[in-house]
Amino acid sequence: MGGLRKRDWWMAFLFVLPVVVILLAISIFPMVYSFYLSLCRWDIGMGGQRTFIGAGNYLRLFSDARFFNSLKNTGRVLLFGVGTQFALGLSLALLLNRSFRGRSLVVTLFLLPMMISPVVVGCIWKIIYHYQYGPLNYLLNLLGIRSVNWLGSGSISPYSIVLADIWEWTPFMVITLLAGLQAIPDDLYEAARVDGANRWQIFSGVVFPLLRPVVIIAILIRVMDAFKIFDLVVLLTMGGPGQASESVAFYNYLTGFKYFSMGYASAMSYVQLAVIVAIANVFLRSFKGRAVV
Amino acid sequence: MRRRDGVTVAVFVGIFVLLAVALAPFAWNVLTSFKEKGEYFTYPPVFVPSSFDLEHYVRGLHLGGAKGIKDSFIIASLTTLLAIALGSLAAYSLSRFRIGGDNFAFWILSVRMMPPIASVLPLFLFFRFLRWLDTYQALIFTYALVNIPFAVWMMKGFFDELPVELEEAALIDGCGRLGAFVRVALPLVAPGLVATALFCFMFSWNEFLFALILGRSRVVPITVNIAGLIGGHEILWAEISAVSIVASVPIIVLAILLQRYLVRGLTLGAVKG
Repeated sequence: MGGLRKRDWWMAFLFVLPVVVILLAISIFPMVYSFYLSLCRWDIGMGGQRTFIGAGNYLRLFSDARFFNSLKNTGRVLLFGVGTQFALGLSLALLLNRSFRGRSLVVTLFLLPMMISPVVVGCIWKIIYHYQYGPLNYLLNLLGIRSVNWLGSGSISPYSIVLADIWEWTPFMVITLLAGLQAIPDDLYEAARVDGANRWQIFSGVVFPLLRPVVIIAILIRVMDAFKIFDLVVLLTMGGPGQASESVAFYNYLTGFKYFSMGYASAMSYVQLAVIVAIANVFLRSFKGRAVV
Repeated sequence: MRRRDGVTVAVFVGIFVLLAVALAPFAWNVLTSFKEKGEYFTYPPVFVPSSFDLEHYVRGLHLGGAKGIKDSFIIASLTTLLAIALGSLAAYSLSRFRIGGDNFAFWILSVRMMPPIASVLPLFLFFRFLRWLDTYQALIFTYALVNIPFAVWMMKGFFDELPVELEEAALIDGCGRLGAFVRVALPLVAPGLVATALFCFMFSWNEFLFALILGRSRVVPITVNIAGLIGGHEILWAEISAVSIVASVPIIVLAILLQRYLVRGLTLGAVKG
């Protein structure tokens, strides 16, 4: 639209000003403050004083077995959760990538688990997982399998969270990958078929390379979300039994708002922020490439 | 063509089975909401409840469900208004004048990606200082942290798609810059504006972590109310299911309305769908 005239510049500036002011007030200033806190010991529950301890909180993280356990649980959601969501989501997207009557209704129905609040997802699965009265153990018993202690066993409860997460978020992969598939022009399939390619060759040689940017975006978004997993942990297990199924965000929440160690909690949240910033950078870079449909 | 038919049948059977697995948990939730205590605390489980009256819905709404829905509605609507109003102004500026350049736009988007647990701690202390804990405005501004960057980014996408010639024509006709924005650009992106608003509403309605920490007794959004019922001494499954269904219905309606824009919204505009 040509160069900016002076009056236009003022308007452009005034238009972004409120957003900048609000974002600075509720994100940048608090973040700077919490960085300072992460260098302090401050246990507000005890009415304790704030004392500057430098990198002490960060060093403490490295020897905190409970923190590493929560990292492991979060990693499990990333690896098994997002991995399964991608595999299932891609298969389902390929199945749905054809025209049939009632298709848009079917797609909408598939999306429901992702649209409702994670809190509701937690409620639904808490009932399903109930050891004595839940329908899942009942079905297993019908098949001759002994009841599984889904939420009460430390070796199983982290996987129960992963399973509920898979149910909730597979739809995201379905709808995103489906959009990617539909952006691939039909004549490319035709051309490949005329050249004598079989189904697998069409998929690996034509479809997947074209789908790749969408796959990367979808996985990055899910990884960022899964890294923040909190709601399902609260609703399903409260991190239990013991500390077996705590996620990083959940342990961070306990540190800040149950034990009131504000300094240590700030340090923990800064570590997560660093991880997210790293992933977000990759995401934004693929955005700038504009390679996406 | 015989083999093709076989494949087609297999595909539809596969779709049907997966759909059943995806929907069964919902069905169980709906059935539970009608069951009496003796029907959900029993083995083997009762599938069909003895009566389908709305008794548990009424009781669930009395147990804080109605208040939760009111609070969530107030917070979600006001934060949506705030995000849409300020977000579309900024988006227009970014799209038409490229103010601040790409890096500025990406900075705004990056705020959206901050882990909530990282921002809630300083915000908690900040609002405690302002004596804003347990107030609507604390949650309205906190959700703006998520919704404003989202609205800016989505609306920027919609403005980018609008040909500038229309506004240029308006300028030549003697319309001011502001007039070109209000009378030409804004009406043309109205569908995108509505979609963005519905997304903001949905995010805020479903949110849990901020609500849990910044609300307390006077402000209890629906998600916190449901979680509270689950943590209670005696777990009233039918009431919990009933409230969770009431809380989900508006969202499901929005999701259906949004279908065309769903991919775009959920991928922050990265995949246009």
